[in-house]
Amino acid sequence: MRILVADDHDIIRRGLKELLTSRSGWEVCAEAKTGREAVMLAEQLRPDVVVMDISMPDLNGLEAARKIRKSLPKTEILILTLHFSDQLVREIVEAGVRAYIMKSDADRDLVAAVEALGNHRPFFTARAADMLLDGFVRPHAVAPDPDAVIRNRLTSREREIVQLLAEGKSSKEVAVSLGISVKTAETHRANIMRKLELHSVSELVRYAVRNQIIEA
Amino acid sequence: MPRVLIVDDHAVIRRGVQGILSTYPEWDLCGEADNGQDAIRLAGELAPEVIIMDVSMPGMNGLEATRIIHDVLPETKVLLLTLHSSSEFVRSAFRAGARGYVLKSDAENELVRALNVVIGEGTYVSPAIDARALKESIFYNN
Repeated sequence: MRILVADDHDIIRRGLKELLTSRSGWEVCAEAKTGREAVMLAEQLRPDVVVMDISMPDLNGLEAARKIRKSLPKTEILILTLHFSDQLVREIVEAGVRAYIMKSDADRDLVAAVEALGNHRPFFTARAADMLLDGFVRPHAVAPDPDAVIRNRLTSREREIVQLLAEGKSSKEVAVSLGISVKTAETHRANIMRKLELHSVSELVRYAVRNQIIEA
Repeated sequence: MPRVLIVDDHAVIRRGVQGILSTYPEWDLCGEADNGQDAIRLAGELAPEVIIMDVSMPGMNGLEATRIIHDVLPETKVLLLTLHSSSEFVRSAFRAGARGYVLKSDAENELVRALNVVIGEGTYVSPAIDARALKESIFYNN
């Protein structure tokens, strides 16, 4: 089984590699430090499984997962986070991710989750599965998160740009980073602010932190 | 051969440290703990030369454990390995008796250098820590 590991911290990638390669027949075929690198390497190497941190600079794990699932529907994705979030479980599933574990539980869950994904079976802990079932059985009982409702108004490109702006990039830097014109970047920025009902960059940063798009 | 105890509640970090040290055979990873209480108990049993310690852990945190280990085993050097880069945190760490402070984001490049510094009776602060803010926090609070 060929596995791509993506995390911005070298020491975490090192630890994930140690845990994964303790299984014979499992190989870490590449490592990525950002979501954008993960997408690029996944498209090049077509790994069986991508093990990915959710908070990474430039492009976060959730957006990277959406892109990878789109171009490589056979590649399975596991998302790692520091904190459990009910909201995130639903979003992760919507992005096409079929396994979600906490970094703190990696020793217990990582190998089991990757093994399940290798057989194209999902892996969710009891708590995450409860969340998903609850939302499925009683879709109206689960109060919609206002941020999530608003976020659904954004296009995938706009979500990418939210992260870059929250990381402090100017419209020009966003344009360079995405290979678009400054004018287009500015239009995106204006649309984002309107759709999210935000009025300043500091409000945008707060929104991004609250929604785990960037780390506090 | 200096012996190292690693204390972190995340196994992935403990494995990462093990991975880094495996390329430096002069360092012997002699034990692991995932909380402050076990760190104190193992420090007493193994008397390692250095303890690599996380700060945020459930139960007793790394600063509290550092304080106690520094009291009981003054010869053992504690090197904190953490996500927090604020100068206030660094100051509390050294007050608790730590001898080194490395950020998890820089561990790959700095961990072995920091181990060498603390074992040689020096003090290591990651270059990523804002030195001016640290100085200010020391002066203002004394």
